[in-house]
Amino acid sequence: MFGLLGPNGAGKTTTVEILEGLRPRTAGEVSILGIDPETTIGRLKDRIGVCLQATNLPEKIKVSEAMRLFASFYSRRTDGTRLLDRLQLRDKRDRYYSQLSGGQKQRLAVALALINDPQLVFLDEPTAGLDPQARLEIHGLVEELRREKRTVLLTTHYIEEAERLCDRVAIIDEGRIIALGTPREIQSRTLGRSIIEIQLERPVMGDDLPRIGGADHPHLSEDGRLLTLAASHPARALVDLVKWLDQRGIEPADIHLKRPTLEDVFLELTGKSLRE
Amino acid sequence: MRGWLAYTDITLRLTMRDRVALFFSYVFPLLFFFIFAEISDAEQGGVITQVVTMVLILAILGNGLFGAGVRAVQDRELNILRRFKVTPISPAPILAASMVTGWLVFLPVLLVTLGLAVLLYGMPFPERWVSLFALVSIGVLAFRAIGLIVASVVNSAQESAILNQLLYLPMLFLSGATFPITALPSWAQVAVQFVPASYLATGFQGIMIGHESLAQNWRSAAALLAATAVALFLSMKLFRWEKEEKVARTGKLWVAVVLLPFLGLGAWDAWTRDNLNKAKILHRDLRRSRTLLIRDARIVIGDGKVIESGAVLIRDGRIAEVFEGKAPDAKTLRAEAVEASGKTIIPALIDVRVSLGLPGGVYEPASAYQPDKAVLRAVAAYLYCGVAAVRSSADAGGVVDRVRKLVAEGQWLGAEVFKSDHAGTVAGPFRELTAPEEFARMAAHGEAYVPMLSAAEAEAAILTGDAEMFERSLVLQVGPPELIEGTKRMMSRAKPPGSREKAATAQADLDRATENLRRAWRTGVILAAGSGSGNLLVFHGPAIHRELQLWVDAGIPPEVALEAATYNGARILTALGRIGAVRKGLEANLLVVDGNPLQDIAATERISLVVFKGERVFRSALFEQE
Repeated sequence: MFGLLGPNGAGKTTTVEILEGLRPRTAGEVSILGIDPETTIGRLKDRIGVCLQATNLPEKIKVSEAMRLFASFYSRRTDGTRLLDRLQLRDKRDRYYSQLSGGQKQRLAVALALINDPQLVFLDEPTAGLDPQARLEIHGLVEELRREKRTVLLTTHYIEEAERLCDRVAIIDEGRIIALGTPREIQSRTLGRSIIEIQLERPVMGDDLPRIGGADHPHLSEDGRLLTLAASHPARALVDLVKWLDQRGIEPADIHLKRPTLEDVFLELTGKSLRE
Repeated sequence: MRGWLAYTDITLRLTMRDRVALFFSYVFPLLFFFIFAEISDAEQGGVITQVVTMVLILAILGNGLFGAGVRAVQDRELNILRRFKVTPISPAPILAASMVTGWLVFLPVLLVTLGLAVLLYGMPFPERWVSLFALVSIGVLAFRAIGLIVASVVNSAQESAILNQLLYLPMLFLSGATFPITALPSWAQVAVQFVPASYLATGFQGIMIGHESLAQNWRSAAALLAATAVALFLSMKLFRWEKEEKVARTGKLWVAVVLLPFLGLGAWDAWTRDNLNKAKILHRDLRRSRTLLIRDARIVIGDGKVIESGAVLIRDGRIAEVFEGKAPDAKTLRAEAVEASGKTIIPALIDVRVSLGLPGGVYEPASAYQPDKAVLRAVAAYLYCGVAAVRSSADAGGVVDRVRKLVAEGQWLGAEVFKSDHAGTVAGPFRELTAPEEFARMAAHGEAYVPMLSAAEAEAAILTGDAEMFERSLVLQVGPPELIEGTKRMMSRAKPPGSREKAATAQADLDRATENLRRAWRTGVILAAGSGSGNLLVFHGPAIHRELQLWVDAGIPPEVALEAATYNGARILTALGRIGAVRKGLEANLLVVDGNPLQDIAATERISLVVFKGERVFRSALFEQE
């Protein structure tokens, strides 16, 4: 499960479409399953499954018909009924495409991508525009694919998705890969530090801030009750911090330790937020 | 192959679920079928084939341009096609699926249209149904392919709507399906030859009315197939999966390339006028196929019998029935009723002695006389006067042969021209009296006597300078003015008229001719009416009516005169089984006149209606033929 993470307009879809053979590349080399999609696209198409971002099916096509139609295109096919079962679309098999909800449409799109038992699956922003419930369903599906040990290329601009679903992630921005590895690797490889937040029982004065090795940017909220600081070694910093509190006789009301996210990584690498 | 079948299956299913497509494929053509069938009284004869042709063309154009074209553009614009792009299917099966779907969707239209036409409107089931089916299929595929090429060269649904309309409306109106080609101005008639749909229209009608085969329409079929092949090839080359891929503006010219076969065929037909003439002939056949019931009229059968009140039913160009007394209801006969109370139906007249190559007078200016055109006008003038057949003699063969052919094919509306020698007939001499023994011999040998009194009268008029004939209504109606005026002036220039002596000679000639007629009649010689038209002052058309009047003036009973100008004429032309009487099975050549010519022979000039080979002749248009 490989994730392509990047903000809108970063070039995720373009990349994927080049890989799928939908559009020509301007430079570089591409090899999918050992095949260059620009030269022998026919053979490649038979072995990949694709869930496009901007696509549609005819309004009046039934779910079962779409499955049958797409199955007919490939030399390898899986059992369409089982696939529909798995994607909880069995009771919708006689529904028209136009009668499906957004989530159901997306599940059907995934089902169609799997109909040929592909060696490689492209899922281009499968959760874009879906409500949280539908998004969770898709997540469940993708996790299932992951358990099947199928090679999946997933693009997303949701950090949680990449963190939760992907084994490896490439972060791209303006068409370039700026980080590549497992989510954990990427997180730790960066300068990113954990954020420690402590809610205090009573306020402290603004000039009385702890000096702790390996931690910087201590910050006190205006009412003096919330202390935040960033630490590259959060365990050591926490010990020091608790000592510091103890010296002043202040009880912590709540302690939060936040690990750095891919978002933080992205912010650090590009100076931009992923969510903008 | 499996992918193609599945794609075709789905395309067909989707079409059947698309209400708009269903409306335009089925409801719309049927609506038009009933509307046009009703307003054109299609149950009264062959017009139904015209309605069927129109509906088929309407449906084929809709199926191709709007069915295939709009659908293909939609699939691209709605990002449906790009989903297929990432599967192994290629453009060829997608295009092929559209073609096959179009054809399958069209089949019910063909069956239902033909079925309704046969069951409700009494159209005979097309004899050459295999040919019809084949040409319809070729047409559907061709326009389907044209729809696809349009879809391949437009960049949006709007562009496709505009381009399709630009093709649809002119093709519909200029195909000859909606308006008969012959009703269009001549420049448009030429333009029509470049319109693909017009070949379908003439093809369909040729097969249904003219019982032609597909092979006889091979040029149309070849052009349509060529257009199909080119359009499909280009559609494949220009196929776009995604709306983002745009085609250059000049790409629209590819549509012109597809229509190239019709540029060639159109040029050929504009030059040879083959298709145009075919359209004319088909239109003629169509008009001749109407069912008419002329009722409550006196009927002069032609062989001497008379029905005082009866009706004549005309169907498919022939006399289908002659009723005595009250005729059955026109509705149940599926006929258009023509009320003829107080009128008399007689067989259309036959003039057995004319010279088509002679004009009958002098044209002024002389340049107004064009022998070819004058002959065409002459046969039209005969028909105008209710004369359905003439026997021409002493003519330069070429010109008359050409006219004969044009009339026989139905390209030119005019009297049928017979060309035979005069064996067995004797034309009336008026320089001397014929001996009774000679008439007895003729009677015994069954020879016919043609007295040509009108020629004798004209001769007298020239000698006496009598211009009375220029006052006769039919002469003035038939014209042409250059001939009437020119001849009049020539006569006045010849004044002072001949001496009293000359006039007396002329009168004596006429008297002798009249006496010869009386002798022949009394001896029982077969009498036939021939006017000698073409000679000076004997005008093509009106003269035969004058001839009858002269006979009756000479004491011949009107029924004898009429028999001579109809039944006996046919006998001399050895065409008795076909023309010359009001009898079931004969060609429907009828003259309906006001009043009763048996009492007043001049009534034959008061023409109310001329029916020629089943067609109600639109008399004033006879002289406007091109």
